[in-house]
Amino acid sequence: MVAVAQHPNIQIITYAEVTNVAGYIGNFKVTIKKKPKYVDWDLCTGCGTCIEKCPTKKIPDPFDLGLGMTTAIRKVYPQAVPGKPFIDDKHCRKLTEGKCGVCEKICPTKAIKFDDKEEYMTVEVGAIVMATGYDLFKWEEVYGEYGYGKYPDVITSLHFERLASAGGPTGGKIKRPSDGKEPKRVAFIKCVGSRDDTKGKSYCSRACCMYTAKHAYQVKDKIPDSEAYVFYMDVRTAGKNYEEFYQRSLNAGAKYIRGRVSKIYQRGDSLVLKAEDSLLGRPLEVEVDMVVLATAMVPSEGAQELAKIIGFSVDKDGFYQEAHPKLQPVETFAAGVYLAGACQGPKDIPDTVAQASGAAVKVCGLLAKDMLATEPMVSEVDIYKCSGCGFCVPICPYKAISLVEITEKGHHGPIVRQVAEVNGSLCQGCGACVPACRTAALNLKGFTDEQLVAEVDALCL
Amino acid sequence: MRKRVGVFVCDCGTNIASVVDTEEVARYAANLPGVVFSTTYKYMCSDPGQEMIRKAIKEHDLEQVVVASCSPRMHEKTFRKAVEQGGINGYLFEMVNIREQDSWVHHDRGEATKKAKDLVRMAVAKVLRNKPLYISHIPITKKALVIGGGIAGMQAALDIADAGYPVILVEKQATIGGKMAQLDKTFPTMDCAA
Amino acid sequence: MSIAIAEEKGWEPKIIVFACNWCTYAAADLAGLNHLEYPAQVRIIRTPCSGRMDPMLVLRAFNRGADGVLLSG
Ligand SMILES: Cc1cc2nc3c(=O)[nH]c(=O)nc-3n(C[C@H](O)[C@H](O)[C@H](O)COP(=O)(O)OP(=O)(O)OC[C@H]3O[C@@H](n4cnc5c(N)ncnc54)[C@H](O)[C@@H]3O)c2cc1C
Ligand code: SF4
Repeated sequence: MVAVAQHPNIQIITYAEVTNVAGYIGNFKVTIKKKPKYVDWDLCTGCGTCIEKCPTKKIPDPFDLGLGMTTAIRKVYPQAVPGKPFIDDKHCRKLTEGKCGVCEKICPTKAIKFDDKEEYMTVEVGAIVMATGYDLFKWEEVYGEYGYGKYPDVITSLHFERLASAGGPTGGKIKRPSDGKEPKRVAFIKCVGSRDDTKGKSYCSRACCMYTAKHAYQVKDKIPDSEAYVFYMDVRTAGKNYEEFYQRSLNAGAKYIRGRVSKIYQRGDSLVLKAEDSLLGRPLEVEVDMVVLATAMVPSEGAQELAKIIGFSVDKDGFYQEAHPKLQPVETFAAGVYLAGACQGPKDIPDTVAQASGAAVKVCGLLAKDMLATEPMVSEVDIYKCSGCGFCVPICPYKAISLVEITEKGHHGPIVRQVAEVNGSLCQGCGACVPACRTAALNLKGFTDEQLVAEVDALCL
Repeated sequence: MRKRVGVFVCDCGTNIASVVDTEEVARYAANLPGVVFSTTYKYMCSDPGQEMIRKAIKEHDLEQVVVASCSPRMHEKTFRKAVEQGGINGYLFEMVNIREQDSWVHHDRGEATKKAKDLVRMAVAKVLRNKPLYISHIPITKKALVIGGGIAGMQAALDIADAGYPVILVEKQATIGGKMAQLDKTFPTMDCAA
Repeated sequence: MSIAIAEEKGWEPKIIVFACNWCTYAAADLAGLNHLEYPAQVRIIRTPCSGRMDPMLVLRAFNRGADGVLLSG
């Protein structure tokens, strides 16, 4: 991360989103919306005094998925890059109630800007890499048998990551959310929302088998005399050194049980899982202190809208559609737009990094060229026939036609009039504009009226 | 433009010739208005086949070329290039699909050959109305945009930046890192994520 | 002329197909790849997209004696 921040060729724009993309391969014009941070990052030195002094300290920390608390002015997490804070405008007292303003008073560089506004900027680029990643499936909305999220000790694997992390709310000690006790018995359920046509998604999320093996190992490793139960449908370890990794969890004593959990309910202090061990063909009941759900990866919020803005397609599940599953896995149907990581489909880090490097090569290959050749079979306008009616403008699906003013010589001085103009780089040669032109001023090079009529005549001879 | 069309009919080994009488098609083509030369060859797309086109353009002073063979979706680019190497504009060229849309879908030799002749006649009529077209070149902005600052975006940005191109990395959160920043240790190596 | 009489006289219909390069034309190629046989009276004209189709071309085909026109894309 630091390498990215320090690279002289990389400009990082955080807390921002792309709102519009115009142009075409080699020449995109991109509009970026910068959300107000209420802190001038040019002035801020990242000293952190404001974060210490902020009195609004009881905000459930989104980074810890609500497992810990944070302040209204904060960094996303202490090692954030860039290492500067922003103000959470939904919780800041000054911004919501007009009171407080402590940070403004104490900031040594006067970097706090309560009147910060949304800002738009445009940049010009030759290529775009999509790397919007994934979100986790909202299991609480559909898995009633697991309690719809009403049991505090039924958490997701990402919660577990925060609990196990040295930088997390518990400093890396695994404690259960309800009472902060160390859970001695932990159950993991895989494929929650994945490979489940009725309630979730049909696909396999690909990383969960492995991170669950990691989590089961961590339970055995960090908690003495603990039990880790893993409920699974299959164990998929198709990766270099993956099977060995899974074996390590087994050797550490993780208990793998093949079968789906049909119900979770509370019994006293514990959670009871009802399941079937499908290898033994026997119903089963396990009592545990905490349950961890390995939930499916789904496309990140807003990913689909972004695809629409840029002009490429998504697959049936909303992941970005590659141009060819085998031969063009990093290209999209929009020339000059490439894919990297989980936005194209669920993946783990090794695959993500490989694909990202692949996309980078495609970009470099494009940018290494001095000029880009364009297909000559595009529409052209005969300005002497064009009446400037503009009928063709809305018909073009690629926004390639615009009206321009031209000046012509007339008997009584120059005449200014409008005509259609085709941008040959945007035109994809579909020819939809040609039949729409009432004065036959438009023609598609390579497929002119004259050529097509000659073909019809020759065939009907 | 002068009308001097050359027609090249491909056997495609036996793929075409076993159903379509290619010799007959070439003979027929020779008499079409504008055609000054026609021939057949076993594999038109092969090196000797392309050389045949290049040579014929020079020897017979051809102005337009028609190749009757497989689908243009297969070899249009190949032949366009050969025609250009022969010294005429690559767009003064048309292709006739007598394999995918003729010999492979019909059995009757008479009917398939008749269809091939019709299609060649159509292409000759079209090519006589073709105009030279020129590929134009547009400049490229030598800068890349990466949307999303997770491990995918960071890796792509670094690789592009290392190659010497400027990169703009746009991230929706107030930090880069993505999901990986939230992970503790990562499989399969169990090194730290940050 | 009824079809029955027409067939007796050895009449064959002339069918002109306007096929979009990206779908129908590709599909016709695929039919070829799979050797799916169909009547040989069909003549395909490649268009860049069905958007390019002008009603004028359909009328022209009928006017010149086509018995059927298929527009697909
Ligand atoms: C619990 C859990 C544990 C895991 N453990 C491991 C492990 O141990 N080893 C392993 O290899 N893999 C693991 N994975 C998988 C790993 O998280 C992914 O492979 C990896 O994060 C994918 O990286 P990414 O960059 O494609 O997506 P993300 O990490 O999701 O990053 C996407 C980034 O894009 C940003 N973004 C989204 N939309 C926009 C937008 N419109 N505009 C601007 N920015 C946007 C997001 O804010 C985010 O920063 C685990 C996954 C989970 C859920
Ligand atoms: S041919 Fe298609 S892309 Fe080109 S200008 Fe006409 S409608 Fe637009």
